[in-house]
Amino acid sequence: MKRPVQTLLLALTGAGLLHATLLTDTYLRYVKAGLRPLLIASGAVLLLLALAGAAGRGGRDRAPHDHHEPPPGAGHDHGHDHTGTPRIAWLLFLPAVSLVFYAPPALGAYTAARAGSKPVAVQSGFAPLPATSPLPLTLTDFTKRVQQDRSRAVRSRTVRLTGFVTPAGDDDGWYLTRIIFSCCAADSQTVKVRMYGTEVPPADTWLEVTGTWHARGTLGTATAEAALDVEEARPVARPVNAFTDDLPLRPS
Amino acid sequence: MEKTDELVGVPEGVAVVPVGPPVRRMRPWPLGTALALAAAATAVLLLAGTRWLNEPAVQAWRTVSLAITVQALPFLLLGTALSGAINAFVPADLFTRVLPKRPALAVPVAGVAGAVLPGCECASVPVASSLIRRGVPPSAAFAFLLSAPAINPVVLTATAVAFPGSPAMVAARLLASLATAAVMGWLWLWLGKDKWLRPLLRHRHTGHRHGHSRRTEFRLGFQHDFLHAGGFLVLGAMAAATFNVTMPRSVLDTFSGSPWLSVLFLAGLAVLLAVCSEADAFVAASLTGFSPTARLAFLVVGPMVDLKLIALQAGTFGRAFAWRFSAATTVVAVVASVLIGGALL
Repeated sequence: MKRPVQTLLLALTGAGLLHATLLTDTYLRYVKAGLRPLLIASGAVLLLLALAGAAGRGGRDRAPHDHHEPPPGAGHDHGHDHTGTPRIAWLLFLPAVSLVFYAPPALGAYTAARAGSKPVAVQSGFAPLPATSPLPLTLTDFTKRVQQDRSRAVRSRTVRLTGFVTPAGDDDGWYLTRIIFSCCAADSQTVKVRMYGTEVPPADTWLEVTGTWHARGTLGTATAEAALDVEEARPVARPVNAFTDDLPLRPS
Repeated sequence: MEKTDELVGVPEGVAVVPVGPPVRRMRPWPLGTALALAAAATAVLLLAGTRWLNEPAVQAWRTVSLAITVQALPFLLLGTALSGAINAFVPADLFTRVLPKRPALAVPVAGVAGAVLPGCECASVPVASSLIRRGVPPSAAFAFLLSAPAINPVVLTATAVAFPGSPAMVAARLLASLATAAVMGWLWLWLGKDKWLRPLLRHRHTGHRHGHSRRTEFRLGFQHDFLHAGGFLVLGAMAAATFNVTMPRSVLDTFSGSPWLSVLFLAGLAVLLAVCSEADAFVAASLTGFSPTARLAFLVVGPMVDLKLIALQAGTFGRAFAWRFSAATTVVAVVASVLIGGALL
């Protein structure tokens, strides 16, 4: 790989990282929000490296070559320790170009349909539910309330859940789903709540669903199904924190 | 064209001695060929339609491989920057003075020293390579390489968070990882051969050279190591994403029943999925059908051997080394997990 190409590659990778973190929030499709400062720093370092490479080429780097004419057919990158960057480095163009020009979409129904549901942690005590109605809950909290809360506080409450649509595949129902990253999309886990009572909406649509618990099994025990009788399903934009296990955040 | 490329980026006003007439130089893979290939690929894509790129499976694959790469880039940069700094700024005899003289003693010391490098496994490969180039015995450098991603405070904290109420898992992970790292270091002393390593690592002549600017050396080493390791990282990320997307999770349930098979299965899963060591505890916590020992094997094998690490090691140390080392590490890590998991969990 020639020097100018190396410089271009560094600049493009740096630009890609900065593009995904500073100009847009595409990075949230791939990694957790906490990595943003590290990604920005990496983008800046790569751009600086590219700049230094571009600036340095006229001076010190060339110095060993300058007093003699490189013989025809000789290698290019002589004169320092690291002879030649291997061709494998070309592969780095793939993520760089992807980030700048053709960012792949966030994970969605395809992944969720093939993933098992993330097991819900066991919670011993439950605080009383706030009186708001409809009551906003995360899919995980709803599942916990349905399957673990002995006081059955969620019975006959109208709740509001947010997630995207994953068709169930087998029969009429569908799932409201969230995909959760611990670190990046490679360790994604899926939380699903079954939906009853409406037509299956198109896959990957983000919805805000209001409804009540779909009575199946004994509420407050593991036999209860995490499911909702849908009263209203309203399409919404994908929340900023789409891949965390939290209530949806929207840009104000 | 070659000539214009050469002059790109030379700032005006910098005194440049004229570089002689344009000379056509032979290279194994000249830029022209690469550009022609890229143009051909683009043409094929445009002609055949980009529909297959929009298949959900392909999109998920692109997302996951890009995610692994993006997530690892900051840590790879940190690792290569450290490696470049060690090469250019650290005096050659520092490590030989600090480490015990006998390699058999240096191995556990280096293993424990792994606790100081925070972050993911990608950072430790270039650092270990620069340690070897600075005269640290390979056995000690490999112990460091294996232990650093598994026992640093960030990873241990994440493990404690993922397994609330079972501190034994944190202790078992720490002990089993340290034990594996030390055993692998000693194993290298006993059976390892320098000829498996890339030639660059065998002659330990690099580092600061008299008469060269340290800063330029640092920058060039940093850039070279990053581009080199980055290419292998992308390769490993693509391989891991392939398994991540194609493997149905229902496979998990078929193996969770048998205590022995489940240990081997989760160890293999850790290799194929290439989950970052800061996050693997959360994945392990979600594998509820499996015994604690099997999950410990997942946590011990994952940061030491996985597809992207094998690719990185093959690039940094050489292929002959990478497959031997990875295979041996997997075996040792599984044995250590079974022994320590059996005692503690």
